[in-house]
Amino acid sequence: MAYEALDFFDVDALLSEEELMVRDMVRDWVDEKVIPNIEQHYLDGTFPREWIQDLGEMGILGMVIPEEYGCAGMSYTAYGVVCRELERGDSGLRSFASVQGSLSMHPIHKFGTEEQKQKYLPRMATGELIGCFGLTEPDYGSNPGGMITKAEDKGEHYLLNGAKMWITNGTICDLAIVWAKLDGEIRGFIVEMGDEGFTAPEQKGKHSLRASVTSELVFQDCKIPKDRLLPEAKGLSGPFSCLNRARFGIAWGSIGSAQACFDAAKKYSLERIQFNRPIAAFQLIQMKLATMLREITKGQLLAYHLGLKVDQDDWIPEFVSLAKMNNVDIALDIARVARDIHGANGVTSEYPIMRHMNNLESVKTYEGTHDIHNLILARHITGIQSFTRNLK
Amino acid sequence: MADIAVLLKQVPDSNAKIVVSGGRLDEGSVNKWSMSPYDEYALEAALALGGSITAITCGPERAKKMLTDAAAVGVTELMHIVVDDLTTLDSNQVSSILTAAVQKTGATVVFCGKQAADTNAGSIGPSVAEKLGAACVTMVSELSGDSSGFLALRPSANGMERVAVSAPCVLAFDKMSTELRRPNVKGIMMAKKKTIEAMSVSDLGVDIGSSSVTLDNQSPPAEKPAGQKFEGAESVASVVSKLRDEAKVI
Ligand SMILES: Cc1cc2nc3c(=O)[nH]c(=O)nc-3n(C[C@H](O)[C@H](O)[C@H](O)COP(=O)(O)OP(=O)(O)OC[C@H]3O[C@@H](n4cnc5c(N)ncnc54)[C@H](O)[C@@H]3O)c2cc1C
Repeated sequence: MAYEALDFFDVDALLSEEELMVRDMVRDWVDEKVIPNIEQHYLDGTFPREWIQDLGEMGILGMVIPEEYGCAGMSYTAYGVVCRELERGDSGLRSFASVQGSLSMHPIHKFGTEEQKQKYLPRMATGELIGCFGLTEPDYGSNPGGMITKAEDKGEHYLLNGAKMWITNGTICDLAIVWAKLDGEIRGFIVEMGDEGFTAPEQKGKHSLRASVTSELVFQDCKIPKDRLLPEAKGLSGPFSCLNRARFGIAWGSIGSAQACFDAAKKYSLERIQFNRPIAAFQLIQMKLATMLREITKGQLLAYHLGLKVDQDDWIPEFVSLAKMNNVDIALDIARVARDIHGANGVTSEYPIMRHMNNLESVKTYEGTHDIHNLILARHITGIQSFTRNLK
Repeated sequence: MADIAVLLKQVPDSNAKIVVSGGRLDEGSVNKWSMSPYDEYALEAALALGGSITAITCGPERAKKMLTDAAAVGVTELMHIVVDDLTTLDSNQVSSILTAAVQKTGATVVFCGKQAADTNAGSIGPSVAEKLGAACVTMVSELSGDSSGFLALRPSANGMERVAVSAPCVLAFDKMSTELRRPNVKGIMMAKKKTIEAMSVSDLGVDIGSSSVTLDNQSPPAEKPAGQKFEGAESVASVVSKLRDEAKVI
């Protein structure tokens, strides 16, 4: 049955005509190409190349970057809408677009040289080159500042040593944005697949984001030419600038997952008969549906307003933390309740529910866990950081 | 390549819920309007040939959105004949309007769908051809062409036939095997900048007379009876008799 996107307050009516056209373009593509195939890809643990090509042809990879680099120069709101529509299909698909656009193209555009921009961005916009973002390490997740991956200046080149973990698109990447310490300071490097001493084995056995490639990045005396340093990024503000943009996309994207779960739960509850009545006629189910609608509507308003603030360039990272945290949280709750409403059917690949639910567990953890975003907000309120015991 | 005029109609999306109240389609209840599917093939065929294309629609204000969609996939000129309620016109009047619009563009080649997905009348192509004094090829499912003319595949009494035709001509398209092109973000940004040439029927200076058709009543199709389930070898005889006598398929 055709997807009906819940939009109780008609929030999409606030979008511009071109944002609506982009929404419809992506929604139609997801209906046509993703929905019929996603369950199998999820079960097989694969992410099809063909989708990457389509994303490139639609022009949505790095779509906020200006036209001079082969991108569209569209609004952040449009990017949010795209994330929402992609994640209605699958969080793994949205993850691909986030990593390519916000985590790989953005740092090149913001911190790179003109040569680096010209060399990589136009081909990344078409999906010909795939990027990944290596920040997390086996022993440094929420605390990336402690990273041990290190770069040394060897005169002719940099020498990179260390390992990254949980890196989306790692195995399939053509280039990796790698964060490493150079003389104790965090810097960004462009490492190309094929650089000596760089390998990216896939991490298997995920129960979540199965239709997304997750990898280790290993650097063993990996030589990096001097012109692959991102000159303008120094310290943690470099990677955080990328993360804020990706988190923005997640704040919108998670609403897409929630809408998909709501749509399925509404239809299922109207069709499923128990005790001679559709289960939708029982008050307990009605309350669950009403709660879903309530939370999705609030999340939509939050995402829309965040889009407005970012497009007006009048925002602080804490806005993004709040929206990412809230919207993933409600999406995960909604997915779990939708799973419950589907009974036994809810655990199968006949319905999208458990896939969304499992995906959202990763989405809750990556790009700053729920806890970390609470700490960010609380630091904003109190002026006291409590990430570490060192209360300075 | 000769300039091509493509006739497009905006109809309720094939997934949209249709509500009939008081013997009329309730337009307000249609949540999504789209380009009629056969028209999409007409448009695709024109875009595949390249050259200058004018998309023409006759319909209410909301039809502008469909013209912008056409611009997003590459149409260069957009023309909107504004008619608030198409149901007050009969097919003959609509084809007179569209013929005048085509003449205004100067195009000698016209592409359209074989029928619109809402009324399924199928009269516009042949009727515009008649009024233009142009050749007409209907139910086209494959097309090749150059500046000297077109080669169109269409069904014949005993299979398929390939018809050669040159301008002035009207081609009415069926579903084709080619994939329809999708818009992209850049196309959408360009489309926003395109102007739609909007005009009324009187601006066109065409006399369409009065409608000779009155729409009496619209009603939703009858509900399908519930399916029946048969199990085991003993039901074969009853299934066969139902297929023969009730469904009349064997
Ligand atoms: C599928 C997937 C894809 C990913 N893709 C990427 C990628 O492309 N690039 C990349 O760099 N990383 C990626 N990550 C890694 C992700 O960003 C990290 O997993 C995340 O930052 C959390 O780190 P961790 O797993 O080490 O958990 P930890 O930091 O060990 O956290 C464990 C728990 O402790 C809590 N915690 C930690 N510190 C505190 C504190 N100070 N106060 C209170 N609670 C605390 C956390 O909230 C969490 O509940 C990905 C992860 C997954 C699952």
